[in-house]
Amino acid sequence: MSNLATDPLFNESEVFISDASNQEEVFREVAESLYKRDLVTEDFINNLLEREANYPTGIDMSVVSPKIPNIAIPHTESEFVKARMIVPIKLNKPISFHNMIDPSKEFDVKFLFMILNNDPEGQSNILAQIMDFMARTSENELVSFFKASDPKDIYSFLNRKFMQYAKDNN
Amino acid sequence: MFKILAACGAGVNSSHQIKDALETEMGNRGYNVQADAVMVKDITEDMMKNYDLFTPIAATDLGFTSDVPVVDAGPILYRMPAMAAPVYDAVEKVIKESGKG
Repeated sequence: MSNLATDPLFNESEVFISDASNQEEVFREVAESLYKRDLVTEDFINNLLEREANYPTGIDMSVVSPKIPNIAIPHTESEFVKARMIVPIKLNKPISFHNMIDPSKEFDVKFLFMILNNDPEGQSNILAQIMDFMARTSENELVSFFKASDPKDIYSFLNRKFMQYAKDNN
Repeated sequence: MFKILAACGAGVNSSHQIKDALETEMGNRGYNVQADAVMVKDITEDMMKNYDLFTPIAATDLGFTSDVPVVDAGPILYRMPAMAAPVYDAVEKVIKESGKG
């Protein structure tokens, strides 16, 4: 039986380094690739854009540490995805996002954890795992991680840390 | 039984994290709480009548007025005790005042 809490949430082939300069550009770049790999539906991109406009997903990390870049967790409703995973996207150019818990605020984001979740009732919460990663990984390790420019390094670090924290929680 | 309605844009990630966190923490504090997670766009005036507390991720305009108390639960998402504590305390206050739970 699958143990969702320790199942890998990352795929080495689905790690992006993007030169996009705005939300729509990076969303279209990633969504096109995910659609080609049959991980999302054709309507995924439209729901992604609409949802981010109405319910933003930027997370202000300055409240945790000013050294750690802000992140965002773009995602859609379950019906538009065919997998349960996180797609890491490093942004070479900071992109502006609105704050999820206070949409009137806006800030630059340097890394996206795009969530594909076709099983919202799953025993482990993907967003909780992302926030555990941000809260439990040391500041020095996070600073180094967010500077990484090789998709393999990004994948390896995330996979190792998420597995470690999931096992600790079990 | 004290019933909480958690809500976010997609009803997938944030609202489920709020639901899980509130059920766990309020359970630890000795209250009998049940939370549901939904999409904001699916909330109706009739649905809201079934709940004792509304906990959105951020201040939310539902398009109707409701007497149900509201606690913005967004800070819980950080998974950091110092940020979550004020939200948990606000929820506990509403539970105590309701006489339920």
